[in-house]
Amino acid sequence: MVIKAVWIIVLPIIAFIIGVFFLGLSRKVIARIHRRYGPPIYQPVIDLIKLMNQKSVSHGRLFDMGVILSLAGSIVLVLFIPFGGIAPLSGSGDFLVVLYLMLLAPLGVALSGGEGANPNISIGISRKMMLSLGYEVPLLFSILAVMTYYKTTSLVEITKAQQHLSWGLIYLPLPAIAYFMILPAMLGIRPFDIVSAPQEISSGPSVEYGGKYLALMTVEHAFHTFIVLALFVDLFLGGGNPFTFFVKMLVVFLLGLFIHAVFPRFRIDQAIKYCWKWPTILALAGLIIAYVVTKIPL
Amino acid sequence: MQLITILIVAFLGAGIVYLIGKISGKARDILAVLVSLIVVILVSLAYNQKIYTSFYPLPFLNLSLTLRIDPLSWFFAIAVAGIEFLSILFSLEYMKHYQKLDFYYSMMLFINAGMLGVVLSADFLSLYIFWEIMSWSTYLLISYKGGKAVGAGLKYIVMSTVGSIAMLFAIVSLYTSYGTLEFSSLASLLQTASSGYILFLLIMFIIGFGIKNAIWPLHTWLPDAHAEAVSPFSAVLSGILVRIGIYGFVLVMYSIVGLNLLHKLGYGLLNFNYILCWIGAISIIIGTFIALLQDDDKRLLAWHAIGQGGYMILGISFGTTLGIAGGIFHTLNHCIYIALLFLVTGAVEYRTGGVRDLNQLGGLIKKMPVTFIGGLIGISGLIGIPLTNGFVSKWLIYKTLIMEKHPFLAFVALIGTWGTILSVYKFLHNIFLGQLPEKYKDVKEVPWAMRLPMIILTSVIILFGILPGIPLNVISGIERSFGIKPLSTIIFGMPREIGELNIINILAAIVVAGVFIYLIFSLSTRSRRVNQYDNYAAGSFIPKDKYQYSVRFYDPVYRIIGPYLRDVVDGFYHWLVEKSISFFQGVRQIYTGNVNTYALYILLFLAFLIITKIGWGLW
Repeated sequence: MVIKAVWIIVLPIIAFIIGVFFLGLSRKVIARIHRRYGPPIYQPVIDLIKLMNQKSVSHGRLFDMGVILSLAGSIVLVLFIPFGGIAPLSGSGDFLVVLYLMLLAPLGVALSGGEGANPNISIGISRKMMLSLGYEVPLLFSILAVMTYYKTTSLVEITKAQQHLSWGLIYLPLPAIAYFMILPAMLGIRPFDIVSAPQEISSGPSVEYGGKYLALMTVEHAFHTFIVLALFVDLFLGGGNPFTFFVKMLVVFLLGLFIHAVFPRFRIDQAIKYCWKWPTILALAGLIIAYVVTKIPL
Repeated sequence: MQLITILIVAFLGAGIVYLIGKISGKARDILAVLVSLIVVILVSLAYNQKIYTSFYPLPFLNLSLTLRIDPLSWFFAIAVAGIEFLSILFSLEYMKHYQKLDFYYSMMLFINAGMLGVVLSADFLSLYIFWEIMSWSTYLLISYKGGKAVGAGLKYIVMSTVGSIAMLFAIVSLYTSYGTLEFSSLASLLQTASSGYILFLLIMFIIGFGIKNAIWPLHTWLPDAHAEAVSPFSAVLSGILVRIGIYGFVLVMYSIVGLNLLHKLGYGLLNFNYILCWIGAISIIIGTFIALLQDDDKRLLAWHAIGQGGYMILGISFGTTLGIAGGIFHTLNHCIYIALLFLVTGAVEYRTGGVRDLNQLGGLIKKMPVTFIGGLIGISGLIGIPLTNGFVSKWLIYKTLIMEKHPFLAFVALIGTWGTILSVYKFLHNIFLGQLPEKYKDVKEVPWAMRLPMIILTSVIILFGILPGIPLNVISGIERSFGIKPLSTIIFGMPREIGELNIINILAAIVVAGVFIYLIFSLSTRSRRVNQYDNYAAGSFIPKDKYQYSVRFYDPVYRIIGPYLRDVVDGFYHWLVEKSISFFQGVRQIYTGNVNTYALYILLFLAFLIITKIGWGLW
């Protein structure tokens, strides 16, 4: 009980550190791929401190509350997703709860941005909604394949089962590939940075944010990166102890970054069509295989 | 006696309200609220009772009309009475500018009485009588506004009559086979019936109840009727009246036919339950994705009512403890949040002069904060955001689908939710967020009589979202009365053996995290409040009143999925109507109005008779 309480406090801090580290790392890695020197890895920390002390504007109550809801949703989510076998609140909510809690962060941004009354925000949110409808189709297929295959809706059980047997990647290669193909869309990095698209719609939903708002949204982004990667490691890469878990996350993130660094941006309709084509076909095939396999008595 | 009192109060109240209305409008309003309040109290007093009374003998049929109360009927009765009370309360202000209010209030109370009669009756004959009272008074109230509403009402009553006839067919057949129409005796008598007969009964009742519940492909009356009815009545119509269909499904499937017989129907995958599931799944897809294309706020909600009906069917058709509980719970949840959302649209209409077009609204959050919170919580319930009621029931349904190994149905249910998010966000954004047009700058919050029902419904959504054990406890009583293993519940979630769901911990985590961030937020440098025109547009100028960037909000998606999302069924019915009209026009040609032709017909008929007579002899 006490250990649990400690983890409830420590885990978000770990997630925060890892997330911010990933943000710094990504800028460095991309710079090196572009043959630039790049900022130091701790640059995001400097940015955060600077932003917290800067002036900002607010468009109203909901504008503030949406940002808070968004970050709170992401922090809470960390407690439900096993990190190297540690998930202090996993007994209070299974994978279905996690799927629904993942809605809080985008909903918060959408509500907050909505009150901003800026066309760029509206365009950004509309793109975000459409993009998530796009990637949810393959995502749900691959998640259902995992749940069908392991016959449980509990994330802890899924990671445990992979420690007895081999990684989910071995048994469910197609859903894993499909998940990886939509990973950039979930992380919002190129070729799927349609939502923020700084050159087109001035960072979309975050165009009205400055100072502490931008700082909180950066932290939210760090948590979001952590969550998406942790989910992938839990579902397909066998979890592991905290250290190996971190290494696996790092590898997946770097692979994603390599794609990010060299690809141009999709248009939104291209992105939806992409999501509904190959990832969906692969994930659906994976689901059908998982379904058939569980039906055959072995 | 108690049940008869409820119905007498409900029916007599409706009549008296009409008469009093002729004398004084104020007295009528007060009386209408009072009658519906008394009904709520009387129904809630019947909690946890088991009463069975026969109130009117029909010696010539050897039947008597009977009433009963058991967990299932109490559950629906309280929902009926509650929603009806709140929407009558809402009507007080909303309906002020309308004509024929005596008629309106007495019809509202009549529908209330009819619905209560349906859920309280203990035999099919009284159910049918009350059902017809309910259907016809609904027709009158849908057409109340006149104009387009008459067409919508007509469409409703034609389809409703088809359903009633299907139901009557089954009832008559039951009477001729068994000589009784009481639920309890039929339940035992039917156990020996053949599967074919049971299937016939079920199909007839599904047509009857399904038209009311608007399952695909019997849904086409619903969008028109919901959009054209006055808003407080839309809340009743969509919230509970339509869901009397679910009551019928549950009653026939589990209370009368029973699980054992249901499982015997069908071979392998072509199972009765399985087919019903897919009908529910198609309703979900059609409902939620067509809702995405709507620009009229009430029509958007109406399509969601069809989609969410699919979830209920999906839940109850599985016949497992979790599934039935999820389906029934979702019915209750849906009735709360959709009623709230219709009241919200009503409030917006009231203040903006009847604007329903989503593309003409915007920015009302600053003017109508209470209505906005109602809308926000309402759509959260509709999506099923954790801490609102819709979440728990949807969780139960998903869990059932995954545990029963139907991942494809689970996919449909989940993707339906994601489609829901898109359209309801558009609903909220276009009404309340974005730029406030100049013409609405003097809009005020609605009066208290309209705020109160919205506040009550909002708090119930949150209450049932955090403490789902309260309604689930009643629902497990319903399951016990069916002889199914009841759902074991704890007050804030599910016990461990069913699954990991503990709302209180989720709540605590969100609250602690939220408060923590709020502290950081408010301790750091204060932000400057700016008006809605003071925003950054990368050097461009955002013109006043020109900005409504939500027309065709999801244009790329519309272009991709739009062509596939036509309401084919409605088209088919229209085609059918056209063809039958032209056929009957053709038939009409034989009535020339000339006596000579009629004489010719008589002659030809006689010749036909003679020829057949002779012909018969020759064979």
